[in-house]
Amino acid sequence: MEIIETLINGLSSGGTYAMIALGYTMVYGIAKMLNFAHGDIIMVGGYMLYVTMITAGNPMLGLIAAVIFCVLLGITVEKIAYKPLRGASPLAVLITAIGVSYLLQSTAQMIFGTAPKMVIIADMGNFEVGALKIPYYTIVTLVCSFVIMIALTMFVKTTKIGRAMVAVSEDRGAAQLMGINVNGIIMITFAIGSALAAFAGFFMLMKAPSLSNTLGAMPGIKAFTAAVIGGIGSIPGAMCGGILLGVVEAISFKIPVIAPYTDAIEFMILILILLVRPTGIMGKVRREKV
Amino acid sequence: MAKAVKRIKWKHYANYIVIAILTVVFSIMSLSGSLTSSTIYLLEKIIIAVMLTVSLSVVVGFLGELSLGHAGFMCVGAYLGGKTACLLQPTMGNSFPALLVSLVVGGAVAALCGVIIGLPALRLKGDYLAIVTLAFGEIVRSIFMNSSSESFGGSLGLTTPRYDKNTLFIIALVLVLGCLAVIQNLIQSKHGRAITSIRDNEIAARATGINVTQYKLSVFTIAAFFAGIAGVLYSFSNYTIQSTKFNYNYSIEILVMVVLGGMGSINGSIIAATLITILDIKLQTILTGNLAVLQDLLYALVLIILVIYNNAPALKGFRERHTLKNYLYKFSKGKHDPSHRADDEAKWDRVPTKIEMNEVLSTEFQPTMSTLNPDQKGDFK
Amino acid sequence: MKKTKLLAIITMVALLVSSLVGCGGPNYTKDNTEFVIGVSGPLTGPTAVYGTAVKNSAEMAVDEINAAGGLNGIKFKLVATDDKHDATNVATNYSSMLEGGMQVSLGTVTTGPGLEFTNLSVEDNVFFLTPSASGDKIPQNDNGFQMCFADGNQGAVAAEYVNDNYKGQTIGIFYKSDDAYSNGIYEQFKDNLDDSIKTVESVFTDANTTDFSTQISSLKDCKFIFMPIYYTPASLFMTQAKDQIAADAIYYGCDGFDGIESADGFDINAIPQEVTMLSHFNSKATEGKAAEFIKKYTEKYGADTLNQFGASAYDCVYAIFNAMKEAIDEGKEIDVTISASDLCDILKEKFAGDFTYTGVTGEEGKAISWKENGYVEKGAVKYVIKEATK
Repeated sequence: MEIIETLINGLSSGGTYAMIALGYTMVYGIAKMLNFAHGDIIMVGGYMLYVTMITAGNPMLGLIAAVIFCVLLGITVEKIAYKPLRGASPLAVLITAIGVSYLLQSTAQMIFGTAPKMVIIADMGNFEVGALKIPYYTIVTLVCSFVIMIALTMFVKTTKIGRAMVAVSEDRGAAQLMGINVNGIIMITFAIGSALAAFAGFFMLMKAPSLSNTLGAMPGIKAFTAAVIGGIGSIPGAMCGGILLGVVEAISFKIPVIAPYTDAIEFMILILILLVRPTGIMGKVRREKV
Repeated sequence: MAKAVKRIKWKHYANYIVIAILTVVFSIMSLSGSLTSSTIYLLEKIIIAVMLTVSLSVVVGFLGELSLGHAGFMCVGAYLGGKTACLLQPTMGNSFPALLVSLVVGGAVAALCGVIIGLPALRLKGDYLAIVTLAFGEIVRSIFMNSSSESFGGSLGLTTPRYDKNTLFIIALVLVLGCLAVIQNLIQSKHGRAITSIRDNEIAARATGINVTQYKLSVFTIAAFFAGIAGVLYSFSNYTIQSTKFNYNYSIEILVMVVLGGMGSINGSIIAATLITILDIKLQTILTGNLAVLQDLLYALVLIILVIYNNAPALKGFRERHTLKNYLYKFSKGKHDPSHRADDEAKWDRVPTKIEMNEVLSTEFQPTMSTLNPDQKGDFK
Repeated sequence: MKKTKLLAIITMVALLVSSLVGCGGPNYTKDNTEFVIGVSGPLTGPTAVYGTAVKNSAEMAVDEINAAGGLNGIKFKLVATDDKHDATNVATNYSSMLEGGMQVSLGTVTTGPGLEFTNLSVEDNVFFLTPSASGDKIPQNDNGFQMCFADGNQGAVAAEYVNDNYKGQTIGIFYKSDDAYSNGIYEQFKDNLDDSIKTVESVFTDANTTDFSTQISSLKDCKFIFMPIYYTPASLFMTQAKDQIAADAIYYGCDGFDGIESADGFDINAIPQEVTMLSHFNSKATEGKAAEFIKKYTEKYGADTLNQFGASAYDCVYAIFNAMKEAIDEGKEIDVTISASDLCDILKEKFAGDFTYTGVTGEEGKAISWKENGYVEKGAVKYVIKEATK
């Protein structure tokens, strides 16, 4: 029974990681940059949710507000901070992203302070079958994250915009010559990534109702790790990576001897996988051209 | 003889001279007892920051790879050096030889970690490397954090012998001179040119017969070695060292200093490290409560604006017209000399391999910026 | 051109040197017009609530003493510096306070930076009485004393209680493995625990960890959970665990639990389990000195930062004041320009001797005394913060 519970826990937090990792991976695939500030979008979404819940008292309304605000924020950040650097060295873009991450964190701290806020979204009970006892929020997170992932895959596979995204990620120049609005596609990618981050923030707070300005920092880095493990730029890779990381984390926490080393183990896995497959599990090997 | 003296370009050695003078001045002051301990603590902090920034600058500014695990190397140096000092204390006491042995051990083990982390780095590039170094830093921190209290002190931290504060910073200043000598000579040599060529275009560098693998590994090792030395100094300047200090935020702080100092400028790194450390300490007392966050906010904003200004392709023309050098020139000569371009002059710390290989040789059509940029249009016509 | 550059370099060096060098000799206290008490604590960052409580309460005590005429007419002054809960900042804080004329200190607020303070202060022989740095090693030198219980002491007392009540049963332990406070208590607790008691252990590490689902599922069959952690993660754990851990289970914490019922957004009555803590201060006291302190503090600073850290700091200031007063009565000479080292010798003798003090912490009305090794001796009280909901 304990194994099943641990697995379900792992799958559920893995689902959240996967959702964040999708944001990283899509932006990387299309804009060819690591959006280090992605984790902090989660935090901003969390605060939006908190503010809405205080004023309106409805978590669903809060989720909608958070998603809208995050989408707008994601687009704004892209326009102001990243777009001017398109064509510059990846190093410059990455450092700017780090700057944006710190800017968001310190702005949030300015407004809301450092003391964690408690955001209780919904009071749900347990799902009990025999000795199995799983909180409902775990199941909700699990189901929702899988639904969102499937929907996203369908979106990319079937819609026109989705195909355009794939085209831009394959070859930006060729895509532009084919009449695809590259800037528009990049904007849409940021919007989708930020919306996913807002959802992830909602699920994270549903599970652990503590909101501070570093809410997104560690999950952001873990999801980043997950995206790299799965092969950055690959949508199924990000899902696999996220779920793998979630399950490993849950199992590791369960064994007292190695529990304190959980973070180290997760990062170890990253290094090992990159040693064997330098582009991650499902990453494409790109030939470099001059 | 007189000719030989003339041939030495003194401005190449300006930073050595400044640091050497400072060393002498502070030694005299320290011996005469006119330095307050708060000044000494500040000096120690500045020296450690300078060493970290200069060593990271080689990786980021010259090799062009992003390392987010510099604090990890420092952590290794601090713990290993500190532990060595603890073990040596019963036999050698808190003596200079003990310090030397600790420095060698700390630096060597950190360098070894540099090799270990450099090895996967050879297969990885850019963003992948950044996450691997970040992972390395967190793994190191986690291992020391969870060590038993007998080995490395665990969560309570390792209690290390503190070296006499009146002499430690003098030794540290001499070490900074050594660090500068190694790194500056490396950068100025043909190896330095090879390293910067890897930054500017790895494939082209490889094509000209540069052993990219070897250079990357050696740069990582050297940077890790000096980070380790800085770590040992850190452990000698504190009674306890705690691994919580060496998280990725600290690595990013060092990175911020490198970026603010100017990528690929050793002198810039030194100045940025000094000023930011002093500013940090001063602001710590001025800004309290919720205002303290203003400092982070400011750094983040300056970082973003500076990076965008220095790197945005659209601003290239503007940047070249408005360099500090042009203004200085205007100021001294009273008129602007258009032939005086930043790139034309061989500055010792900015190795002139600024040929944008990508733009010249690329078969990939990059419609975004190169077409917008008036300077580059000629290449495509 | 060359000359300009040379000039620029010389100016920079001169500026740097002048910015770094302040003039001053070893006699920092000669210009004092008030007795200066220094403290270093986290005034910003996630642990700021503790530092702020200490600063506020110590300030309150100083104001009260000054309003009552000070020590033979000489007033006191509190200097609080921010160490951000980072040991690296302590040296700078300490030296700047010392050079600013500090004569006696409250040490640091938290244990991590406290070890650094311990070692620095013994060099200059500066007396400190820390309100809340509970590490076992904090008072290792003869110039340091604690107002709070040492971690090891708390762990041992808790283990004694468990040994008496849970013989042969299984209990849960939930702690933060990378935290000096949590680990210190945990280790002593384990060492003193009866062999017949089985334990289920569960840990978390990162300060930003908020999702405890795995830890909860490990501990869900325990009827007694020992939680030597601070209240922020504890309240989060309880919120997440309220439906999964048996309703008749007991959460047993140490002084870090203090203030849990006022944690932001946490409704302690919404959880069914019993919450108990072992502490030296009852933040819900309705009568006696503790209640008086609570009333005064809440009026001045609000209830947000009210906790045992503050109460302890309030006691520290008064204990130092009383000790100085007694020393003067005994014929010792203490004037306003007394050096930190001279004052330290006097206070060391008092605190290691038979000096006692009755304050807001400890058992109501019982005197607090100190052992020669710097540990405090006072009554620890088991407070049931919230009874199990039937």
